Amino acid sequence: MKVIKHFLKAMLYAFPSQAMRKATLLPLILISSFGSVFSQTTTKVSGTVADSSGSVLSNVTVTEKGSSTRAETAVNGAFTISISNPNAVLVFSLLGYAPKEVSVAGQTMINVSLQQVSNSLQDVVVVGYGTQKKSSLTGAVSVVRPEEIQKRQATTVGEALQGLATGVNVRGGGQPGSEASIQIRGLKNMSNANPLYVIDGMITTANRDFNPDDIESLQILKDASAAAIYGSRAANGVIIITTKKGKSGPMRIDFSGKASVQQTPKYSLTATPAFVKLNDTAYSNAGIPQSNWQKHNLNNNTDWQDAAFQTGNMQDYNLSFSGGGNSGSYLVSANYFDNKGTVISTGFKRIGLRVNTQGTKGIFSIGENVAITNAQSDEMSGNPYVDVVRMLPTISIYNPNNPGGYGYGNEDSARTFGTNPVAHADLEDQKNENFRVRGNVWSELKFLPYLKYRLNLGYETSNDHYNYFRKKGSWTLNQPDDPSIANENRARFQSSLIENTLNFNKTFGKHSVAAVVGQTYQHDYYEQIWGNKRNMLYNPTTNTYYKVLDQGNTPTTGGYINEAVLLSYLGRVEYSYDDKYLLNGVIRRDGTSRLGAANRWGNFPSVSAAWRISREKFFNVSWIDDLKLRASYGTLGSSNIGYWDYIPVINTNSTMVVGTDQHLEAGATQVKLVNSDLRWEQLVQQNYGFDAVFLQNRLSVTAEYFIAETKDVLTPMPILLTTGNDGGNPYVNAVTLRNKGFEFSATYRENRTPVKYFGTVNVTTLRNKVSDLGYNRSRLFDGNTVTAIGNPIGMWYLLQTDGLFQNQAEIDAYKNKDGKVIQPDAKPGDIRFLDNNGDGQITNDDKAIVGSPWPKWEMGLNLGVSYKNFDLTMNWFGSFGAKVYNGYHSVVDRFDDNSNYRSDVSPWSPTNTNTSFPRIVYATTLNSRGDTERWLEDGSFFRMKYISLGYTIPARALKTIGFSSAQISLSAQNLITFTKYQGLDPEFVNTNIFQKGFDNFAFPNLKTYTVSLQFGF
Amino acid sequence: MKNMLTKITCSFIALSAVLISCKKDTLNIDNPNTLTATQFWKTEADAQSGLNAAYTMFYKPGIWSRWIYFRLDLTSDEGWSQSPWIELGDWTRFQYVNYDFWEGNVNTFRDTYKAVFRCNQVLDNIENIPFADNNKKEQIKAQAKFLRALHYYYAALLWENVPLVLVTSKADDMPQQNTLQEVWAQVEKDLTEAAQALPAKWDDASVGRPTKGAVMGFLARTYMQQHKWTEAKNALDYFFTGDGRGMYSLVPSFKDNFTHYNENNSESVFEIQFSDANIGGGDGDDPNQGMGNNREQFFAPRGIGWSDGQARHWMVDEFKKEKTIDGKLDPRLQSTLFYKEITQDFGDKIYGRDWQWGDDEAWFRKYQRDYYRTTEDYYAQVNNRLIRYADILLLYAEVLNELGQTASAYQYVDQVRARATLNKLEVTHPEIGNDKAKFKERLKMERELELCGESVRWADLKRWGDLDSQAAVDKVAQRDPDFKNFVVGKHIRLPLPQQEVNNNTNLKQNPGY
Repeated sequence: MKVIKHFLKAMLYAFPSQAMRKATLLPLILISSFGSVFSQTTTKVSGTVADSSGSVLSNVTVTEKGSSTRAETAVNGAFTISISNPNAVLVFSLLGYAPKEVSVAGQTMINVSLQQVSNSLQDVVVVGYGTQKKSSLTGAVSVVRPEEIQKRQATTVGEALQGLATGVNVRGGGQPGSEASIQIRGLKNMSNANPLYVIDGMITTANRDFNPDDIESLQILKDASAAAIYGSRAANGVIIITTKKGKSGPMRIDFSGKASVQQTPKYSLTATPAFVKLNDTAYSNAGIPQSNWQKHNLNNNTDWQDAAFQTGNMQDYNLSFSGGGNSGSYLVSANYFDNKGTVISTGFKRIGLRVNTQGTKGIFSIGENVAITNAQSDEMSGNPYVDVVRMLPTISIYNPNNPGGYGYGNEDSARTFGTNPVAHADLEDQKNENFRVRGNVWSELKFLPYLKYRLNLGYETSNDHYNYFRKKGSWTLNQPDDPSIANENRARFQSSLIENTLNFNKTFGKHSVAAVVGQTYQHDYYEQIWGNKRNMLYNPTTNTYYKVLDQGNTPTTGGYINEAVLLSYLGRVEYSYDDKYLLNGVIRRDGTSRLGAANRWGNFPSVSAAWRISREKFFNVSWIDDLKLRASYGTLGSSNIGYWDYIPVINTNSTMVVGTDQHLEAGATQVKLVNSDLRWEQLVQQNYGFDAVFLQNRLSVTAEYFIAETKDVLTPMPILLTTGNDGGNPYVNAVTLRNKGFEFSATYRENRTPVKYFGTVNVTTLRNKVSDLGYNRSRLFDGNTVTAIGNPIGMWYLLQTDGLFQNQAEIDAYKNKDGKVIQPDAKPGDIRFLDNNGDGQITNDDKAIVGSPWPKWEMGLNLGVSYKNFDLTMNWFGSFGAKVYNGYHSVVDRFDDNSNYRSDVSPWSPTNTNTSFPRIVYATTLNSRGDTERWLEDGSFFRMKYISLGYTIPARALKTIGFSSAQISLSAQNLITFTKYQGLDPEFVNTNIFQKGFDNFAFPNLKTYTVSLQFGF
Repeated sequence: MKNMLTKITCSFIALSAVLISCKKDTLNIDNPNTLTATQFWKTEADAQSGLNAAYTMFYKPGIWSRWIYFRLDLTSDEGWSQSPWIELGDWTRFQYVNYDFWEGNVNTFRDTYKAVFRCNQVLDNIENIPFADNNKKEQIKAQAKFLRALHYYYAALLWENVPLVLVTSKADDMPQQNTLQEVWAQVEKDLTEAAQALPAKWDDASVGRPTKGAVMGFLARTYMQQHKWTEAKNALDYFFTGDGRGMYSLVPSFKDNFTHYNENNSESVFEIQFSDANIGGGDGDDPNQGMGNNREQFFAPRGIGWSDGQARHWMVDEFKKEKTIDGKLDPRLQSTLFYKEITQDFGDKIYGRDWQWGDDEAWFRKYQRDYYRTTEDYYAQVNNRLIRYADILLLYAEVLNELGQTASAYQYVDQVRARATLNKLEVTHPEIGNDKAKFKERLKMERELELCGESVRWADLKRWGDLDSQAAVDKVAQRDPDFKNFVVGKHIRLPLPQQEVNNNTNLKQNPGY
């Protein structure tokens, strides 16, 4: 006890506020004062509970039938129950296992074996501050099996989640160390759509520092009733992750190793001969005399994709040691992850160590989970996916005549401002390193079998180090002569969490009540300092620079601090009658430092109910094993904004030059406007669904319909330029956004035949509609999109095209009703645009809504089959009906500005009229303007995200070498894609939600081939 | 058991009580990074700092450190663009496709209003700040008004029908649109008020702040754009018969107006003070912000700078039409342009290089730093002489001519010509005599030869009506074929940023767009 006290005290120093220390001391007192076990004087029966394989089972509920007496098995599977009737019947129950009744019949020692049931409805689901049986769920929760995540070669959890749960849209990854973007049930707001991550109770983000292999269970809370317990931060959904724990028994050693190669998809671009032909045609069509055409350097024929891209590889090794005894368990795991990128000079490395332990003594248990990670990434310079398109094949990679020695555009021979990606990668280097410690310590005090107090102290800190170095030299034409520059910043992030919760869990006959009340406090703190030097010392002998900030001159430095606090109270009551009628109520009250005093506190209640019809007597359908109807209604919040967005501040960085000596004088002024009355954004969500199990648990079906309305969305809505605002648009509670969606998931699983197989299909459809835009606006324009009240966000707003003019007569005949020739400057082969307002000219006013960037529906398909020791699984993901803007074509097909061209274009010419590709002309934007329908394409695709063939080495063979299990598998990711989209990858990300469908040279998904090996002994 | 439950309950209540009692402090976190707006605008020093921050706006790329030269110099018939960045070039030849093109339109519009926002903050807040010396307060207000007027003057030249924002902005502002007349009236009002408090001269430490002369210069320009010749003359009289008489003179060397040597000289009426003190600094309101001019990097010949803008060659020919009294080339040509024969004519190289560009190409040499460097960057420290005395002399001549006092206008033109060692105008062009129209026509060229590349040409063309009829535009297009794209009645002003028109329901797009 004393040790624990010291330990807890020590933890307290991690927390800054005096008041918070007081708050955490109280539970300490609680723990001390209830330190003794209370006892009763009746017959004691004890024993051990194990599963069919002999592994002991903890947390098995042991009840005396017909009485309220109950007990639970400890970590070592042992239980002791005091019963009044020596002939009583004991009922042993555990989620996931068939309950078993045993007559005591005077015995005092009873050992029981429970049989596992393979019905997913029996799964336990972690729902935040507690667990629930899947069968008792009243809200929308998806459970993803960790093996599914761990099978895939992914840097982050998010990246691995795609297609594994309905309503969860994942995009991204690919680039070393990049983090995927996740959207749960569509877009809820305008800023950060990523869900809240809760890892072992710590509220955090599952960023690239987190090893997906550490996951033991992962659940996604999707609707308001499920997520309400996380209140203000749950509007985008919650992903709850528990990390692996040791299991009772001798030490087990597990190893898994994965090695992959990665390939980037490539463009099909012209080589020098074809390029020259097209380029000359574009100049010629522009009426430029041949003497002024590009004097192509025909000796060069550079494949810029070969220069900038390489075969990437990944290695991922995990080794863990775990075990447990009577009173505790442990797990130690180590991870090494290395990714050499598919773009030159990029990479990511992670080394991690995790220690999870827990122990029990009497009514007291304690545990900790801690992960220490160091992650390093060599970041990409610029965007090579644009560079390889804008560089011409007639430019050489190296050119000793240029500063820095690299080739790039030239006024006479290769007129482009394209960036040489090889030069950029060498001359500008960025590195990021994060050393992170993340974990929690918890202790539980089980005063009574049905009453448990839990203190959870979470802490996360990272030391961040960013390095930027710019060597002297140029990567593009006419670049200013910049000196060498070193920029470095170091930062520390800390987040502390204190949670006190009290759990109550009791069954009174057919009534069962579970409740939790609690309080939480989270404090985030970030500070950064940076320094910058120029003209760094160069060592001509080694051709390298000294990159330390002691060198160089013109030093500049800076630094800043961010800090925020969230204080919350929470409560949840679950009631069920005979497992038939289920009721659930949650309330959370949150206070944040990010909003002004008047608007700081928000209440986020929710209620939900379910009816298991299949348990009704009247329900007598033999082929339906279980049927449950659910409904929920609740409110979630978000204050996902900056630290002090409600306070106008003075920028003191302005300087002016004045005086005959041209000295500097300081200035200060407000640069950025704010809205001081910011308040909580609120998401009100209704969810209706059913879960059904058919055919002796072979087929399970879940369907849900939801309506989510987000009001007062906190968004940096563009304000007028005449305000003179700068530094970003101020946040405002402006938009009201409604999402309606339908999710359907069905799984068929056959485990009773020699060939076992399963198939899961999940389908999501989603519609969003804006009903208010704030600032009294009815429309909002962003790039080539318009967001109008009554419409979805970011609809394409472009000039409409109507084929090509085939001859001058067509041009002359293209008139408005007043007889005005609409495109008098056009030539045969140019695009005909629709004059929608009939004013006889093509202007912005002719633009129309021409498509939606939102898919009509999305689908995931998981299939698996196994026979004896072989198993084959695959996962498909499809997205259908979105109109996307092909940014690649809008550059490569423009011809008004020099870039490389597609190798398969067929431009209009008087001898090639049967084409939709317009005349190519240098230096006029007539056909190449970006705001036309020309660049829109159907973005539908269906992709095999993952396929794997595994072989489990038979136990007999393993015994001889002392292994207990071993599996080897071959897998591939993104191997096959069906799409009509002509960009690099239809599965792209654009983080600007107003331009969601704009494929602006996003980093593509990579083809990955992996060999993996797993064994345990 | 019961006892225990009570204990637990009590403890929990106590715990909650502690938390509730601390919640008020816990959620109040002061921003440790900088002052809040309510903590500022308290002292004289605050007012001065607020004003200084308004001057900082001269270093923003939307206006005087970069893009405005594309609007004023390149769009006019003096300059053009062969930039491979087609859209950038299109915006110098009246091919405005996307009205939200940042570099061509939005950035300039935004930075104009950013500057106005800073001026308005000074003017609104200063009233509540106690000053020991009321004169100082009035001077700060007058400077803020001058700066606001300056930015609206250029907004009037560029877009004409802009909203007048005259109080500190709020996020949800939706100002009314104003007519060009209303904008001019506001510029006149601000300048007239500024003239009351600004000194004729500043002490050495404050040189560069606007003087009464600077105000009168801009006031005259404002009146002249509206053809209010009498009012313009009254303003300009300051330099000739008023308090400013004798304060200004032409510097002997023309070149001294365009280098970082001899800045704020006797010819300078108002200069933007640039500096290379923060080389490497950015455009934003960040520590170490750049205070140099980017024009030099953007206008330097190909291979030296971006060369996004260059001069039309016809000016070379104009310079060569008249020789000096000792039979040489007009010496101003040497300082004004880079052109093929410059080595032959004056012995100068181009940034140390031989001519390697097209035969009919030319680049602006004014402000370029080839006089001491072979490369350019974003941090040119050469002050921009926004108004110099030579301009004032020529404006005065123009006003006198317009008022029918052609005979007395000659002397002012001749002062300018004398420095270039040219003969008197009446000697070189005796045919003009007292013919007002002929005088004006010649004066146009006198202004061009003296002020080419100094961002006055666009205002001149507008004022002279050279863009008001197709016949006039056709003449301009002979010098600059870009004007073949010019649509009379439309391209005289820029389109307002489309996003602004879309988002401000009080705003109508400019006619023709």
